[in-house]
Amino acid sequence: MTPAPAPARPDNPAQRAVKAGAVWLRQEWQGWTNTEGGRWIFVFKCMVAAFTALWLAFRLGLDSPNTAMTTTFILALPSSGMVLEKAFYRLLGTVVGVTATVTIVALFPQQIPLMFVALALWVGLCTCGAAMYRNQQSYSFVLAGYTTVLVGLPALDHPTVIFTLAVTRLTEVGLGIIVASVVHDVLLPRHSNRQVMNTVQARYQRFITFCSEVLEERLSPAEVELTHLRFAADIAALESGRAAAFFEAAHTRWHTRQLHAFNNAFMTALTTFYTLHRLTHRLHGAGSAASPVIALIEPLHAMLAAALRADLKAGQPSPDWQRVQAELAQGVAAARTALGTVERPVQIDFDTAVELLQRFARDMTAFVALYHGLAQQRKMQVSDPVAYSPKTPTGLVLTSGLRAAVALLLGAVIWYWLEWPYLATSLAMTAVFSALASSSPRPLALIKGVMAGFVLGAPLALFTEYCLVIHATDYPLLVLAALPIFGLGCYLIADPKRGGMGIGLSLFAAQVVAPVNQIHYDPQTFLSAELSLNLGVMLAWAVFAIVLPEHTMGHKGQVTSALWREALGAARSPLFRLKLRFDNRVRDMLNQLNATAGPVPGEETRAVVRQGLTLLELGHSVIEMRQLIAASGPSPVRNALTLCVDRLTDYFRDHSRDKGEAVLDAILRAGPHVRNALAEETSEPRRQRLQTALTDLHSIYTSLLDQLPANPQGEPDHAP
Amino acid sequence: MPREIAVFGVLLPTILPLFLASLLIQGALDWVLGLAGVYRRVWHPALLRLCLLVCIFAALIGVYYK
Repeated sequence: MTPAPAPARPDNPAQRAVKAGAVWLRQEWQGWTNTEGGRWIFVFKCMVAAFTALWLAFRLGLDSPNTAMTTTFILALPSSGMVLEKAFYRLLGTVVGVTATVTIVALFPQQIPLMFVALALWVGLCTCGAAMYRNQQSYSFVLAGYTTVLVGLPALDHPTVIFTLAVTRLTEVGLGIIVASVVHDVLLPRHSNRQVMNTVQARYQRFITFCSEVLEERLSPAEVELTHLRFAADIAALESGRAAAFFEAAHTRWHTRQLHAFNNAFMTALTTFYTLHRLTHRLHGAGSAASPVIALIEPLHAMLAAALRADLKAGQPSPDWQRVQAELAQGVAAARTALGTVERPVQIDFDTAVELLQRFARDMTAFVALYHGLAQQRKMQVSDPVAYSPKTPTGLVLTSGLRAAVALLLGAVIWYWLEWPYLATSLAMTAVFSALASSSPRPLALIKGVMAGFVLGAPLALFTEYCLVIHATDYPLLVLAALPIFGLGCYLIADPKRGGMGIGLSLFAAQVVAPVNQIHYDPQTFLSAELSLNLGVMLAWAVFAIVLPEHTMGHKGQVTSALWREALGAARSPLFRLKLRFDNRVRDMLNQLNATAGPVPGEETRAVVRQGLTLLELGHSVIEMRQLIAASGPSPVRNALTLCVDRLTDYFRDHSRDKGEAVLDAILRAGPHVRNALAEETSEPRRQRLQTALTDLHSIYTSLLDQLPANPQGEPDHAP
Repeated sequence: MPREIAVFGVLLPTILPLFLASLLIQGALDWVLGLAGVYRRVWHPALLRLCLLVCIFAALIGVYYK
């Protein structure tokens, strides 16, 4: 008797079919959950949150239950950390806004013009605050501003009810926040923490691939610039993901520090790499008779590229970067011997290239160590990393405040003039959207999306209200009737391209469809409400299109002048942690540029990126020279370097050709002093510093030569 | 025990400050648990956190309205 055949006999066709079917089903299921399924889960969570909030508001007998529901739509964000973060800042903003409203109304009872001026001032102030920050903190400011309008307007004629209105608003927003946070955090959550780790991993792989491709000279300059732009956006995205993950249970303090350190190390490595790349590029372009340096450093590049590639290979232990550094040092020594004695310019090129290569290897060592620490969730000692913090130029901050104030006053004048009571709703909408859009890189696109949602919402809401909701006799039926329109809104929110439209549709529907405690169906009121909501958004759009349209975040001209100001700051501000702060700011400018430029940045954007990267490099060199100056006693070197820094400061101030040439002149004079000092110096750390200074002088010199338009007298000879 | 307390003449339900207090206690506990790495070992950290908050809030109410 033979035993029963093994269950997985490959020659049994039926079993094979079942197995193949199971595999197919599993693949389909995974594909679905990763794409469309994720969106449906999101819609499900939003619906649970919205209708729970509405039901609770009814049960508690709140005055306008739709505020609670609206809040859940505003908090409809993809991951639980983001929801918690926004919820926290929304609560904060509402508390401040409600307090301010009560104060303003109490200060100007029955003096409507004065009160409007005060409201406009407050909203303008808050919008300024919102423009200064760009993560969810900015939302707090926005909310503090527009809450005053939402609560203050109904109280214009009856100042005595202001307190009740304020308490109602706070309660309803609070209810919405609690419900949305609980639902999104507990029900099938998607964690920011895991997304942050995915971002870290993707960035690491992309950076390593990028470096090895550039070292092997397989990318065009345009591609390199665009990659730098994308990395800048990446840095900002990682920081905002980290800020959201902070609110999740699984995120810890040391994790935050490690992520900050990771970002810092990344920026340092990226800057060094850019300088190295530009120098190599220049050596290549120096003429058909390529300098002998190229032949000597190319094997070194190949060696580094091989080490980088080995790091990426899955399943292998990553190479020991200390060893790579040692091998690189040996290679450098060999190349130096091979070079022998050559003319001074060639020697300088070689020294700089080698020094940069070694610096890059050092930076990479730190970066790779941080990455592996994060990936394996190891706790590491990191020395005081600097948090990435966005910064908006002052001009833009003031402009956005002005714009919001103008929008509000304009709306108030129109309201007064037309005497149409529903315009109060329009006014509130104008205030909301002009404030919300001011912290967005593409305000017009945002408002347009919302407007599309509103326009789409008008007929849908009418149909829902008068064909479906009117037949609902109890709460479950009401949910059934209102589900399609809200579901559609949330489905659109989950689509990155139509997010604005989805938000518009949901908010619109929540305003007009969501029933109040005592429902009365009055088509005239309904249509007026629909019309006034649309008018409000249009007014906000008009204000953005008309009042200083150039002054928006990330506009090319704005970014360029801000970059020059940052470079000036690098030459003048106190030195403490200046390098990291400078790095942060410049990357942040590039990130704003990227957000505005859209998916396919044009030639002009690339020119700004080039400018930014050059200034980044110049700024770094200036900071290093200033550190050397601060550390050394009076000497000819110190005087020469001080002169260089002073002239560079002048150049950053008015970036004219004459000043640029003055800098070149100072650098040419400083070179011999530093080299003499280097020849006499015996202590190793100080030699290292002087060598760095020499490299800096050389890279400033070459990047200034690239920067200044073709020299009429022919290029001065190659040698600081 | 009073159901409402007066703050500058405004009546607030007493459970509001109790809720805020439980949020604070929960925040402190959260920090300790995160530091100890507890959250990485449980199945659903967010649910655990919510349950802790409910327990703390209920306990405060229980103590207060005994």
